[in-house]
Amino acid sequence: MAGEHQPIDDDAGHEDRLPLGPSIAAAAVSAAVLLPVLWLIKTGFGVGFESAVALLTRPRTLEVFVNSALLVALTTAACVAIGVPLAYLTVRTDLPFRRFWTIAVSLPLVIPSYVGAFAFVSAFGPQGGFQRLLAPLGIERLPEIYGLEGTVLILTLYTYPYVYITARASLKSMDTTLIDAARTLEHDRWETFRRVTVPQIRPAVAAGALLSALYVLADFGTPSIMRYDVFTRVIFVEFGTFGRDTAVLLSLQLIAVTVFILWLESRIRGEERTTAGGRSRALVPLGRWRYPAVLPVAAVAGLALVVPVAILVSWLLATGTTANQSLVFEWSYAINSVTVSAAAAAVAVVAGIPVAYLSARHGGRLPDAFERISYVGYAVPGVVLGLALVFFGSAYAAPIYQTLYLLVFAYVIRFLPQSVGSLRASFLSVDPALPEAARTLGQTPVGAFRRVTLPLVAPGLFGGAALVFLTTMKELPATLLLRPSGFTTLVTHIWTAYESGYFGQAAIPALVLLFVSGLSMLVILRQEGYDVK
Amino acid sequence: MHESDGTGRTRRRFLRAAAAAGVVGIAGCNTPGDGGDGPDTGTETDAGDGDDPDQIGSGRSPFGDREVGGVTIEEMPDLEGELTVYSGRGEALVGELIEFIEDQYPDLTVRPLYNSAAELVNQIETEGQNSPADVFYSVNAGALGTLADRDRTQRLPDDVLEFVPSNFRDPDGAWIGTSGRARSVPYNTDAFSASDIPEDIMAFPDTDAFEGEIGWTPTYSSFQAFITAMRILEGEAATREWLNGMQDLGVSTYGDEFQISRAVADGEISVGLANHYYIQRVLARRGSDAPLSTAFTRNDAGAIFNVAGACVLDTASDSTLASNFVRHLLSAEAQDYFARSTFEYPLVPDVDPVGQLPAIDELNPPEGIDLSQLSDLEATISLLRETGAL
Repeated sequence: MAGEHQPIDDDAGHEDRLPLGPSIAAAAVSAAVLLPVLWLIKTGFGVGFESAVALLTRPRTLEVFVNSALLVALTTAACVAIGVPLAYLTVRTDLPFRRFWTIAVSLPLVIPSYVGAFAFVSAFGPQGGFQRLLAPLGIERLPEIYGLEGTVLILTLYTYPYVYITARASLKSMDTTLIDAARTLEHDRWETFRRVTVPQIRPAVAAGALLSALYVLADFGTPSIMRYDVFTRVIFVEFGTFGRDTAVLLSLQLIAVTVFILWLESRIRGEERTTAGGRSRALVPLGRWRYPAVLPVAAVAGLALVVPVAILVSWLLATGTTANQSLVFEWSYAINSVTVSAAAAAVAVVAGIPVAYLSARHGGRLPDAFERISYVGYAVPGVVLGLALVFFGSAYAAPIYQTLYLLVFAYVIRFLPQSVGSLRASFLSVDPALPEAARTLGQTPVGAFRRVTLPLVAPGLFGGAALVFLTTMKELPATLLLRPSGFTTLVTHIWTAYESGYFGQAAIPALVLLFVSGLSMLVILRQEGYDVK
Repeated sequence: MHESDGTGRTRRRFLRAAAAAGVVGIAGCNTPGDGGDGPDTGTETDAGDGDDPDQIGSGRSPFGDREVGGVTIEEMPDLEGELTVYSGRGEALVGELIEFIEDQYPDLTVRPLYNSAAELVNQIETEGQNSPADVFYSVNAGALGTLADRDRTQRLPDDVLEFVPSNFRDPDGAWIGTSGRARSVPYNTDAFSASDIPEDIMAFPDTDAFEGEIGWTPTYSSFQAFITAMRILEGEAATREWLNGMQDLGVSTYGDEFQISRAVADGEISVGLANHYYIQRVLARRGSDAPLSTAFTRNDAGAIFNVAGACVLDTASDSTLASNFVRHLLSAEAQDYFARSTFEYPLVPDVDPVGQLPAIDELNPPEGIDLSQLSDLEATISLLRETGAL
């Protein structure tokens, strides 16, 4: 990214002078993100250095490190393999019911992956529900779902939407006249895709893949249920045994790994071109494949959504009369979830704009540093970030400690890269000549940004908002640490039911979670309608 | 899946598995006031639905139809003021009880914060002296002991401590147990009969029938407390040998003990190690025909009896209010509630467990260990790591 990026016009002096306002804003955002890290460093380095080194270099730690690396690599590859074709199908083709499928394939993002994993184990475990269905056919045991393959499967199903949503935003704002040009040059459709579309959506896909990879790296619940041993387990064992400081030190290791992945991603991004955006052409007709193409789309959404819902509902039906009264569902939980998630999405987008804009438009050391820093909060497990804010909140911000303000702040720090990644990819696709043209027509810089650039990046903006919204809907560890007393969201309610074994009663909030998230996605997609056509 | 919910009518029927003193339960229960039309799976503790709240204080359980001993809430000091309770016990299990206590006093506001016990300890530690917490309510003695070791607790008044026998509280009075849970051995009845399960936990690695058939939960707090007990009772070398032996048997690793109990019932494995109530939860959901039963070992780490309990934090703004709240958790009403709402043991001697669980004095926990020793996890974790269990 850094040095490689050259704006198309090399009007001397233009690229290096950073605009003051956005720079200050981006610096402020970076400072906020780095705040928790100060506590991590202070606490982590309180651990005896020797014991830390001993813990990190023992063979078992190295083994789980390799396991983690394998899991991250395979899952990320699978997410790209699923997310990009889905995005292409739902944006560029005449697939039937595209809006419905757009929402359906985005929704797996709101299912907490531990719920998904638990449902899959219940359904497809060696002697789970699916086996019992097949038992009359003489099938006594299904193949093991536990282990690497199963973990990759589950995590892919619940993280591919990162790639899907960012790739979708990028495809939507892509200049398709280039495709026409390629076609007139006698490229066939595949060749056109490879030589025109891929380079254009590459930054977005890389951003989405990065989000998937980092999510997988910091996840603990799924590998634990799937009985696959990963690095985060070392951290959680420390947390579970009150070895907070060691856990924090290990989380710093996770940040180090993240830095490596960020570096890797910046290599993969490759040459980032800025192109004229927004001119889009008619959809690609699928012809006789139009209806068959629905099948893989439905299969992915079905597997990710229907399995957990079906399992939860079957438990709900089985335990209908044995409901726990403390777990009676209230609609206020849904309102709480939507309120904090919408607030987090709005703030994350506003905070993400200066960071993404500077990095995409100007490049250079400082803007790129701001952009990379935004990933720090995302790289540590939620409970670690939550604790860091517990520290700052209780010590320096007592009036907002255990209030929604600090909670939303935590969400923003945690999920900022989701809006930054999506926005940055969109800013990259805006031809700088367009806002400059607006300037020559007498617009102020702010006016040009608002009237020209912002509408052009709208798909990325709403894509980023959607990502933050959906992931906040399911965020649990920081919510548990920072929520006000008595504040229940859909996910804390699911957790409460799940934690005490009332799985059936997790079904209602889970269904409401899907329904409300689906509805919210609809609203977000409507807003997108204001994008340029 | 559910535990019995402890309000209104709770009906349980436990069949005693004769030889192993194991318990098999089928439980059905209704939400209060739901009219008695639910499936009636048992009758012994059937209560009328229309329990009159006025009966509180009369020695009659407000949560069901029985007389309970102990000190009633009415006989306790009134609670007044604001109280922040960090609860490591789930809202589904104790939320109703906390609300019940709050409802008894017009001038009492309880602000509960629910999370896992370990995370709450981390939170309290991170908040330091700025912690808003007054009372910490924990699922196990280890979390309480950790706070006590870090000088974050206040000594409870003697008249609170005296509610339970001395083996269920901290020797220095830093915390007190409010309900109990026994270590146990869930086994699949299609694979084993009760007599196949050794009464000595140390004999497990040498039991060839368990090869490839046994599961454990090295990351789980109750399991770690159990290994800690083994270290104290049998010594480091024997524990190391046990851990290695179990791995030589091809032990399967699970995330928690509820998962273990389910896996045993599914026949995925045939035997495991778990707290006693997880087995009851699985049975409660699947019915008594599930091929799952409970065995107990005798007088060893495998039979350790742990407690859920509470402490008053050093940051408590009103220690009297806080310790009186803890006192209320030991009231006849609260003890009766635990017996019904979880499958736990009440710790106040005058309140019996509900159903046909073996009585607390029929269990055979080991001698020579006290619960406050179970918070010494550091050596346990390194042992688990050295042997490759973690």
